[in-house]
Amino acid sequence: MPARISVARMTSEAETAFTVNGTTVRLGLDPRESLLDVLRERLGLTGAKKGCDHGQCGACTVHLDGRRVVSCLMPAVQANGRSVTTIEGVSGPGGELHPLQQAFVDHDALQCGYCTPGQVMSGLACIAEGHAGDDDEIREYMSGNLCRCGAYTGILAAVRAAATQWEG
Amino acid sequence: MTRLTRVGAREKVTGAARYGADHTPEGVAYAMPVVATVGKGRITRLDTEAAAAVPGVLLILSHLDNLGIIPAGYIMADGYAFQSLQPLLDDRVAYRGQPIALVVADTLVAATQAAGLVRAEYETEPFAVELGADGAETVLQEEAIPLPFLADIVVGDAEAAFEGSQVRVDGTYESGPQHQVPMELIGSVVEWQEDTVVVHEGTQSVGALRGGLARQLGIDPDRVQVIAPYVGGAFGQKNALQPHLAPLAVAARRAGRPVKLVLPRAHTFHAASFRPVARHRVRLGADASGRLLAVIHEVDQQASRHDLLPATYTEITSRLYAVPNFRGRQRHVKTDAQTPGYMRAPFEHSAAFAMESAVDELCQAIGRDPVEFRLANDAEVDPVTGKPFSSRHLAECLRRGAELFGWAARTPEPPRDVDGTMIGWGVATGAYPSLTVPTLARLRADAGGRIVAEVGGHEIGQGITTVLTCAIADDLGIDPDAVTVVVGDTRAVPHHLTAGAWGTNSTLRAVHAALRELRAGLGAAAAGRVDVAAAVTASGRDEVVVEAVTQGPGQPPEMIDRMRAGLVALAGPEYPDYVSFSFVAHFAEVRIEPVTRRIRVPRVVSVVDCGRVASPVTAEAQVRGAVVWGIGAALRERSEVDPRYGGFLNTDMAEYVIPVNADIGRIDVAFVNEPDFVLNPMGVKNLGEVALVGVAAAIANAVHHATGRRVRRLPIMVEHVL
Repeated sequence: MPARISVARMTSEAETAFTVNGTTVRLGLDPRESLLDVLRERLGLTGAKKGCDHGQCGACTVHLDGRRVVSCLMPAVQANGRSVTTIEGVSGPGGELHPLQQAFVDHDALQCGYCTPGQVMSGLACIAEGHAGDDDEIREYMSGNLCRCGAYTGILAAVRAAATQWEG
Repeated sequence: MTRLTRVGAREKVTGAARYGADHTPEGVAYAMPVVATVGKGRITRLDTEAAAAVPGVLLILSHLDNLGIIPAGYIMADGYAFQSLQPLLDDRVAYRGQPIALVVADTLVAATQAAGLVRAEYETEPFAVELGADGAETVLQEEAIPLPFLADIVVGDAEAAFEGSQVRVDGTYESGPQHQVPMELIGSVVEWQEDTVVVHEGTQSVGALRGGLARQLGIDPDRVQVIAPYVGGAFGQKNALQPHLAPLAVAARRAGRPVKLVLPRAHTFHAASFRPVARHRVRLGADASGRLLAVIHEVDQQASRHDLLPATYTEITSRLYAVPNFRGRQRHVKTDAQTPGYMRAPFEHSAAFAMESAVDELCQAIGRDPVEFRLANDAEVDPVTGKPFSSRHLAECLRRGAELFGWAARTPEPPRDVDGTMIGWGVATGAYPSLTVPTLARLRADAGGRIVAEVGGHEIGQGITTVLTCAIADDLGIDPDAVTVVVGDTRAVPHHLTAGAWGTNSTLRAVHAALRELRAGLGAAAAGRVDVAAAVTASGRDEVVVEAVTQGPGQPPEMIDRMRAGLVALAGPEYPDYVSFSFVAHFAEVRIEPVTRRIRVPRVVSVVDCGRVASPVTAEAQVRGAVVWGIGAALRERSEVDPRYGGFLNTDMAEYVIPVNADIGRIDVAFVNEPDFVLNPMGVKNLGEVALVGVAAAIANAVHHATGRRVRRLPIMVEHVL
């Protein structure tokens, strides 16, 4: 094993194909590019936000094959052959809001809005995972998404409302 | 009053809202800084060879180039920048984390890789990062910054009154350092379009970026455009020009391409300001009946070597009570850090923690209920100037809060839950000055009945666009959907910095004045519903455009020129005929788990006197958010320093711990909602900052009630209540 890897020569590209919001994309990717940076810088999908780049804040949350992931921690090449959903893929085809998005609006679950796409993606997953059973459970399972404006009580109310509606 | 849903909420929940770094112009290059790894010293060698060899690297800027950048000056000394020091211009390292080079490359990966390959050698020097450290120099504020509003506040003879008091409290309280950590990282996208530089950057002051960048590059301000319709939180961190911008503009010009910079989160802890350490000694004297006779409040605040952040801690502690004898003293302790600055309720949060903790101690000493004591010592006129308050409903905040909280059931002995959980209730109050800045508002009415309002303000999540939409729609009796508010854009109007909670009061003044102009321009009555479409059509023009500039009472007209130049131009809280503050009372319950002693805050009640509530939805959110901030300040947040290394240590979101959803219980918010028509014709005071003032003290007082432990240093940790 070499003592020092010559990273200066790491210029290889990996052909990668995955779907984003139902559309197939094919890209030659540097293995060091994060899924977040590829979404934002290459695909123009800037809804997912960079708040830490360390998987600590949740602002970059997207769904990978239906499960929430922090896209800043995922090398984009790992998405090969998989299905990514971002906030841009949540609304209906006519632009109608998903019930959880509407609940975020109705319960004022946001202020500056920067963490909001990640909160919505986590909220969708929280409900789908069956982790929206009561307020304490929602709080716990929404705690991977930081909100510095402190809109937590609104976020709780929005997820609770959507979960209730979801279950009918 | 329209209970309008937050303007822009749809864009935010769909990801359509475009923040600074969401712009990716064609051909954009990416920048990554290199930062100093020593606490202080001089760069003796900068090796960029390996970095330059990384494929895709375009430029490496450092002090070895002549960047042609002129320092922009300190924001509080007729400048534009958060500190006077502009990195990359010489070999000096003033603090760990200071940028020493900027790498620009075709891709973010290449820029990041290359930045990691830049090697620096240093000649190091001793440094001080703590108040008591060797080499930390202390200066008296009124001597170091001889400005009238920064002089020590002295009323009566506080020393004599304190010595003669039957009951005395003497405590030292400490808070900070803390960091603002808005979720949006510091960053910018800079593009030259011929001779004009276009900046997309989340900021509270597009005007300061415009004026500052123009000064730094030696170009006309008209050749700088700064665009920030959405800002991903700021809390004071983005209230001035930051040192990354001018080098980025130089890089974009040299590369002939747009350049994007998004700072790593760790860099943000040294790249912008922070809440400094503040150490307070508070002495209170009262008679046996509980009448407050003397307050002595002495503060030492951390400074950098190169700037002094003007401190105004005693501005509120001299006014929370009707105290006949007050003496304040504010000093600065120079340390080797970037210049500390403004973080939500920059002085008042810390001052109220000290003062309201001390008052709780006093109540304990004389056996008075803390609410009753505060009501008995409430001030009717300003104890400092003798002038009236524009309005003061602090007593009502206390009474309403006590009722909502159920304070009457409080006993001096705290209750215990069946499992041994310790329960405590605490109260504290706060105040924040009503500041006013010069503001320009332009209203455009078109034949379709639409109003476009271009206003010198910034939407930083506080809800200013919602406030202005409510005001315009209500005034004209039109649908809020017919109103579009444009803020944070130098192409529209000049902008003063938006901070200090002065946005609502200042922008509403301007919009109110512009609405009067618009009514005149439309031939409409001075009040009542206006058929905008019909009036514009009748005028025979496509649109009717009016504008108004307003400023604070007593402010000289040259302040408007300062606003146009992007400089700070504040009025208040002392105006010619009155002083003006917002007020708040917070009530907190803590529950402390018997074994772990983990402190939880299941409920808080906050009642605010902010004049008339301009927008109920966003106002309530502001207060709830501030309570979350107060919980963070009381129990979580502290930026750690180590005298061996310099700089801050816990520079990421896992180690700089802010509250998460599971930390937050119930927050009940109420407003006195009494209009203050003395301060302005809209009857509003300010809200965003006062809402935080006193939260930490209420929690600390509740911890004392629960445990008998008086914790005088924030944050309160498990080990303090074992």
